[in-house]
Amino acid sequence: MTAVAETSQVAVLAAAPGAVASADLHLTHELATFLYLEADLLDDWRFDDWFALLATDLDYWAPTRENRTFRERRHETAPRGGAAYFEENHADMAQRIDRLKTHMAWAEEPPSRTRHLITNVRAFTTEKVDEFAVNSSFLVYRTRSERDEDQILGQRRDLLRRVDTPAGFEIVRREIRFDQATLLIKNLSAFF
Amino acid sequence: MTTDVSQFIDVDRGEIQGEIFHSAAIYEQELERIWARSWVFLAHDSMIPKKGDFLQTYIGEDPVVVVRQKDGGVRAFLNQCRHRGMRICRADRGNAKAFMCSFHGWVYDTAGNLIDVPHEETAYNPETFDKSDWGPRQVARLEEYRGFWFGTWDAEAPSLLDYLGDMAWYFDAHFDRYANGYEAIAVHKWVIEANWKLNAEQPASDMYHGDVSHASAKQVMGIGPTKEREGHQFSGTFGHGTGWWDLGGNTKRESVGDDWVAQNHDQVVERVGERRADGIRGHANIFPNFMFLHNGTIRVTHPRGPGEFEVWAWTMVPSDAPAEFKEEIRKKVLRTFSPGGIFEQDDAENWVEEQRIMRGFMARRSPLVYTMRMGDAKRDQNNLPGLTVDHPYADEGSRGMYRHYVDMMSAESWAQVIEAKVSRGEPVTYREIGLEGIAR
Repeated sequence: MTAVAETSQVAVLAAAPGAVASADLHLTHELATFLYLEADLLDDWRFDDWFALLATDLDYWAPTRENRTFRERRHETAPRGGAAYFEENHADMAQRIDRLKTHMAWAEEPPSRTRHLITNVRAFTTEKVDEFAVNSSFLVYRTRSERDEDQILGQRRDLLRRVDTPAGFEIVRREIRFDQATLLIKNLSAFF
Repeated sequence: MTTDVSQFIDVDRGEIQGEIFHSAAIYEQELERIWARSWVFLAHDSMIPKKGDFLQTYIGEDPVVVVRQKDGGVRAFLNQCRHRGMRICRADRGNAKAFMCSFHGWVYDTAGNLIDVPHEETAYNPETFDKSDWGPRQVARLEEYRGFWFGTWDAEAPSLLDYLGDMAWYFDAHFDRYANGYEAIAVHKWVIEANWKLNAEQPASDMYHGDVSHASAKQVMGIGPTKEREGHQFSGTFGHGTGWWDLGGNTKRESVGDDWVAQNHDQVVERVGERRADGIRGHANIFPNFMFLHNGTIRVTHPRGPGEFEVWAWTMVPSDAPAEFKEEIRKKVLRTFSPGGIFEQDDAENWVEEQRIMRGFMARRSPLVYTMRMGDAKRDQNNLPGLTVDHPYADEGSRGMYRHYVDMMSAESWAQVIEAKVSRGEPVTYREIGLEGIAR
C-alpha cells in the first residue's frame, strides 16, 4: 500500500514558501534567466552589480543542518532564531562587499575563482502579483590560490520581485540550504 | 616507538619546528598521549537539559555519547558497540530512551549498560556470556565545572579542578557572572585542513594577529586598529592560556543588552569582583582544545589527522538575558565567528597555508620564533594568579602550551607529567583565589 496515491497540488507548492500556482513557461524562463545573470555577476567578481540586485528589504538566510533521527527530522534544519551561517539584511550584505574592497579580506585576497551552476528551477506565482517564489539548486565550485579546490551544493528558496530595471527582478528573500551538516569546506567566503 | 618531540620544541629558546604540525607519527602519539589522557570538554548542561537528552561528540578521534540521566546526572561513553565496533548512536543529538546498534541490534540504556542482545539464549553460552561485561567503554572520569562537563579516558588524571588550576579564576570571568549561568543557543560545525594546534595556540596566546589577520573586518565594523593599552597574558601549568586587553581603547558599541547588563552589574561584581566584571575577558584555550572568546563563542576542535580538524562552535548567552539581547549575540557571533563570519574566514586561510607549507622539509625544520616577551613572565604579579606577562602581545601562552605538550608526549603516565612540573616548581593543585585576585 502506498502512502499517497498521487502528488497533490499541496505537495507541488509545499516546498516553495509563498507559492500559489506554477509559473508558465515564459515567466519561468524570465526568472531562470535572472538567476543565471546573477551567477555570471558573482563569478565575474562584479559584486557591486550583484548587490544592486538585492532588495532593500532583503532577508538572506542560511540555516544550519544536523543529523537527526527520522522521528526528530523536524529539527534537521535549524529554525528561524536558531543556528545559521548567514542571516543578513541589505546593510549586512553591503558590509560584506565593502570588506572585500579593503584588499585585506585574506580569504578572498587574491580572489577565488567560482562557478555558480544553477539548476532544478521551479517558479511560482504568489499572493502578490509582482513577487514570485523560485526554488533552484546550486553547485558552487571554487578554486583559489595554487591548487585549492572545493565545492558545495544546496538549494535556494527565493522570493523575487519584478522591478523596472535592466535585470527585471530583485531578490527579496533567499533561503539557502547547504546540503551538509558538518561543512566540508574551510569557509563560506563566497556568496550563494 | 615514541618520538621525542623535545627535539622540535625548545621552549626555553622560544623555538618550535613545524614537524609537530605535519608528522603522522607524532599525530598517532598525540592520540594516545594527549587525547586519551587529557580533560576534554564534552557538553554544557544547557545542551542536554532533559533526561534522555543526548549529544554525540569526540575526545580526539574517539566518538563519545553524552547523556542526561534520569537522576539528573550525566554519563558519557565511547560511541562504539562492543560486538563488532559499530557506531551505536548516529544522530548528532536528540532524546532517547535507549540506543540500539543498527548492525545486530544490541541495545544499550542511556547510562551505557548493555541491556539486550538479540537471540542471547541461543547464540551465547549463558555460563560465559554476561551482558554487564560488554557495555561500551565508559569515559573514565567525568567532572563538571560551572555547568561545563569534561571527560578523560585516564583514571589517573588529576581532578578537573587541579587540571584547571588558576585557569579556573580566568574562566569564571567569562562564565560565573550570573546565578543562572549561560546557555548554548546555536552550533556550527566545519572542517579546516590544518593541524589542531595551529588553532589552539591562537586563543591561548596570539592577540598579536588581530590587527592584520582581521584588518578587513575591523575596518568595516568601524572598530579600527587596536589601541595598545594595559593588558595581560596568562599561561597555566597544564597548557592553558588566555590573553586580554584591559578596559578602554576601541570604541564601545551600543547593544540592546546595555540596560540589562547595567542592571545586573552588581550581581556580576558580587560573583566575580570588579576586576573580572569589567576586564580580564579576551580569548582563551583550555588545553588541548576548548576555546572561548569574550563575545560568547565557545568551541572545540576535533583532530582529524595531522592536517585536518573539525571546529564545533557554540554560541553562549546568559540564560536570564532578555530575548532581544540573546538574539543580538546570536546574530553577532554568526556574522563574525561562524564559517561565513567576517573574522573567522581569514583565520582559516592562515592555518591552511601554514599547514600546506609544512609539507616542505626545510619549512618544517626551520625553527619558528615564539620569543615574544620571553623572560617577562612572573608568578602572581599584579594580583593576577599564576604566570602572567604584562602585555597580551606575548608568546607565553604558546610556550606554556608547548611545554605542557612536551610533558604529555614524553611521559608514560600522569604521575610522570606531574613529576616534571613539580621539578620545575610549577603548581599542580587548585587553590582558592579571592575575587580580586592574589592579595599580596
